[in-house]
Amino acid sequence: MTATSPGAPSGTGRRLLGLLAPRTYGWQTPAATAVAVLAALALSSALIAVTGGSPSASVQALYQGSMADWTAWTSTLLYTAPLLLVAVGACVSARSGLFNIGQEGQVLIGALAAAWVGLRLAITGPALLVLMLLAAALAAGAWAGLSSLMHRLRGVNVVVSTMLMTFVAQQVVAYAVNMPWLLQESRVGNAPVSPQSNPMPPSGLLGSFGEYPGLQVNGGLILAVGAAVLVAVAITRTPWGFRLTMLGRNPLAAKHAGVRVNALGGAALAISGALAGLAGAVLLASPVGVNRLQPGMAMNIGWDGLLVALVARNRPLAAVPVALLFGVLRSGGGFLAATGVPSFLVDVVKALLVLAFVAPPVVVALARRRRSGGRTAGPRQEAAPVAEEAIA
Amino acid sequence: MRTVDERARELTPPSTPALRLRGISKRYGPVVASDDVDLDVEHGEIHGLLGENGAGKSTLMKILLGLVQRDSGTIMRGDTPVDVHNPQAAVALGIGMVHQHFSLIDALTVWENVILGDTGRIDRAAACRQVEEVSRRYGLPIDPAARVDRLSAGERQRVELIKCLRRDPSVLILDEPTSVLTQAESAELFTVLRHVVRAENRAVILISHKLAEITAATDRVTVLRKGRVVFHSATRDTTPPELARWMVGRDVSLRAEGAALGMLPVDGAPPAGTAPAETASPGTPPSEDTPPTEPPAEPPAEPAAAPAPPAVAAAPGVPSGGAATEIVPALRLSGLTVTTDGVTVLSDLSLDVAPGEIVGLYGVEGNGQSTLGDLLSGLLLPASGTVELAGRPVELERPGALHRAGLGIIPEDRHSSGVVLDMSVAENLVMKSVGDVSGRGFVSRRKMHAVARRLAAEFNIVAPSLDAPVRSLSGGNQQRVVLARELSAGPCVLVAAQPTHGLDVGAIEDMYRRLREAASGGVAVLLISTELEEVMALASRIAVISSGRITGVLPTAEATAERLGMLVGGVAA
Ligand SMILES: Nc1ncnc2c1ncn2[C@@H]1O[C@H](COP(=O)(O)OP(=O)(O)OP(=O)(O)O)[C@@H](O)[C@H]1O
Ligand SMILES: [Mg+2]
Repeated sequence: MTATSPGAPSGTGRRLLGLLAPRTYGWQTPAATAVAVLAALALSSALIAVTGGSPSASVQALYQGSMADWTAWTSTLLYTAPLLLVAVGACVSARSGLFNIGQEGQVLIGALAAAWVGLRLAITGPALLVLMLLAAALAAGAWAGLSSLMHRLRGVNVVVSTMLMTFVAQQVVAYAVNMPWLLQESRVGNAPVSPQSNPMPPSGLLGSFGEYPGLQVNGGLILAVGAAVLVAVAITRTPWGFRLTMLGRNPLAAKHAGVRVNALGGAALAISGALAGLAGAVLLASPVGVNRLQPGMAMNIGWDGLLVALVARNRPLAAVPVALLFGVLRSGGGFLAATGVPSFLVDVVKALLVLAFVAPPVVVALARRRRSGGRTAGPRQEAAPVAEEAIA
Repeated sequence: MRTVDERARELTPPSTPALRLRGISKRYGPVVASDDVDLDVEHGEIHGLLGENGAGKSTLMKILLGLVQRDSGTIMRGDTPVDVHNPQAAVALGIGMVHQHFSLIDALTVWENVILGDTGRIDRAAACRQVEEVSRRYGLPIDPAARVDRLSAGERQRVELIKCLRRDPSVLILDEPTSVLTQAESAELFTVLRHVVRAENRAVILISHKLAEITAATDRVTVLRKGRVVFHSATRDTTPPELARWMVGRDVSLRAEGAALGMLPVDGAPPAGTAPAETASPGTPPSEDTPPTEPPAEPPAEPAAAPAPPAVAAAPGVPSGGAATEIVPALRLSGLTVTTDGVTVLSDLSLDVAPGEIVGLYGVEGNGQSTLGDLLSGLLLPASGTVELAGRPVELERPGALHRAGLGIIPEDRHSSGVVLDMSVAENLVMKSVGDVSGRGFVSRRKMHAVARRLAAEFNIVAPSLDAPVRSLSGGNQQRVVLARELSAGPCVLVAAQPTHGLDVGAIEDMYRRLREAASGGVAVLLISTELEEVMALASRIAVISSGRITGVLPTAEATAERLGMLVGGVAA
């Protein structure tokens, strides 16, 4: 009766998370999801109304900021790319049964490495961009790999270590942008310097297809979609993906079948880190931000990317539309905040929507078990003395 | 005994059955798992339920327990139809079940597992006391404070039984409860059960592939085939061969049947189908009063289909104890010592298996067999000692080294380490040879399916489809998936741990044939078994393991029950 999912860690957690595994309960799950989404929207409207906003105006603003015209779509897609990269990485590690939740830090490490290459290496032309991306992937991959190493050498829980490493990463980046010899911006005249790097040189920026005011598709999105397709194929079609799935679903059997459990798990973790690192490089090099390394530049993309993977149930291709939805919420949410709705409400709406997508299968499964309200307590208490009598 | 009488009066009068099933049907797509099943279980009886692998026994019981929803039919408790939608409802109706596969949580202790699902305050002392009480009462010794992941398969089975028995169910369902218990343990369990069932007017449904157990322990039997009830009788009016015939639909060979019966194969015994079950008289564990009157015969002539033995292979069945020094042993274990948590589980274990030879490693469950199995599976490393295959030492630290060196292993606990339940039948069948079904970096579904189709046909694996998850297979068919994969890998050395557990009579026969065929093809077979009949029927030499040591190696011809008994007890012969 235990259910295991591709994305579950070991033991009891595996069982609990198994409830999130894709499963079919006929029409009930889609119906429950629809109801849940409507409920989430209704609740969101109520919250906006309670805090003094107008729900209809808010929806209008959300739409305006994310989908109303090509400019809005362009900004939506700019957010979609890093979200998708993080989510695809999360799919890889979750498939192997190791939960990497340190993407927020890995994004920063990736951005740091890319910024260093972009600003400190005297390279021009397309090679610079390629090197930046490579450096970001390698650095963040190694950063995530550290957690795997800690797990192997000291048995440190991967979930805990990847998360804690996020705080270390934030300190490292803060340090880097505060040290002039490292990456802090150069002083211009007497102007005060901020804790940020210089802007990336032009050859270190990701170009876009399309012209303002039309739709612009940034190179970062192409990279992200490419990664999603590549990872989807690798996971479902190659011997490597086969072993990864085995490892995630039954580590013991995988070991038994000769899978190098440690190496494969470490690789999965490193790959998920590398993809988060790429997301960092994209944040740095695409017009979503100011093209400078800043301590706050990850903007919770790492955490949101995890949510994307959660809603997509660790399927890289399913993550594409989900990342787009989250992109809509981000760019629309920015617009919404501009209309006076407190920005934390946007986060609340996002959380409600995630719950609306993630909860229904679990609820349906539990409802199935609970139906007809059986009692859990058996007649055991009063039965014990009887048992004694019987042998006497 | 007053309380018991009161309790008996509380229950429905014995004239109405404790449990009545009428027209129960259940389909899984095209598979009919239960087909219009009628079954009555009386108060005070042990009811045997028999059938081939995949006949629908477990499904029927899961329906009773509310784990599976039936398509049609009624369940009656006494005279009232009841609605069992979930396990809680079943518990409320006093129905308890011990499942075919373990449902314990490894990281918890025995008492924690036993009280799991209780509501209210946790009282450790009371829980431990209860565990001890139940274990004493039913003769299932266990340490309540032990962690479950440290227990052997047999001990886990005991915990499962205790967990269920503690709830004092009035209808108790046991789905192959004794496959990992020793014969003495299961005999004791059934003696106590029988007593309790009579005295307290309870009912037991017992599923088992061991016909001896069924004839010894049950009052009535029902045989299922392809989901239908095909035979029903009072146990004393039928014989094991008749039951076997009803199950499989044909006669089964003497040896397989002997193993299923728990009888030692005896030369010159009448052929299957006519042999009365004289050794399986109810109430007596069969092997104790039937020592081998004659050494078993040489393995029979090999089937023509068997591949020709390589030139180096020793003649099959020739005892090679001591005289086989010229031949490089295919498998050589030397000085293997394994210590876990300061306890020596294997101590200085050495054993050779020559090509073409079947060596039986016999002993009571929990004497280091599972550790040896884990070691040969590459799941743990020895503190000292080496494993050599065909004269070459194996680097045990390298993952998959044993597999690459040509060692195939049928693990003891196939459910946890042999299959990935959520992957498909086809994927499980090619699990160890993904490379062989891939081309240009991709797994070829076509090749994978071709291999899977061939193996499924060859090993009679009954599955809804090759893409169905292994989880949806019957217990015995899950076993066959592992057997098919390991036997088809063309190993030089085959380690088979309890290879016939959970298999039906027909499949046991098939398994024996395959092991013999493998040996005659030059494969060295190490058969790890707790069943004396099995070892006697297959092996040419028997090594006895006790407390992690080999206490003696005997040619099967010289192995008598007494000598083996002494060795099993740890006394060197
Ligand atoms: N969840 C499921 N989905 C599809 N088919 C199933 C499922 N569960 C069981 N079956 C099928 O139902 C049939 C009966 O299975 P069941 O487990 O009841 O057999 P069994 O008699 O207990 O056999 P065994 O002796 O091997 O344990 C099998 O053919 C099996 O493949
Ligand atoms: Mg079964």
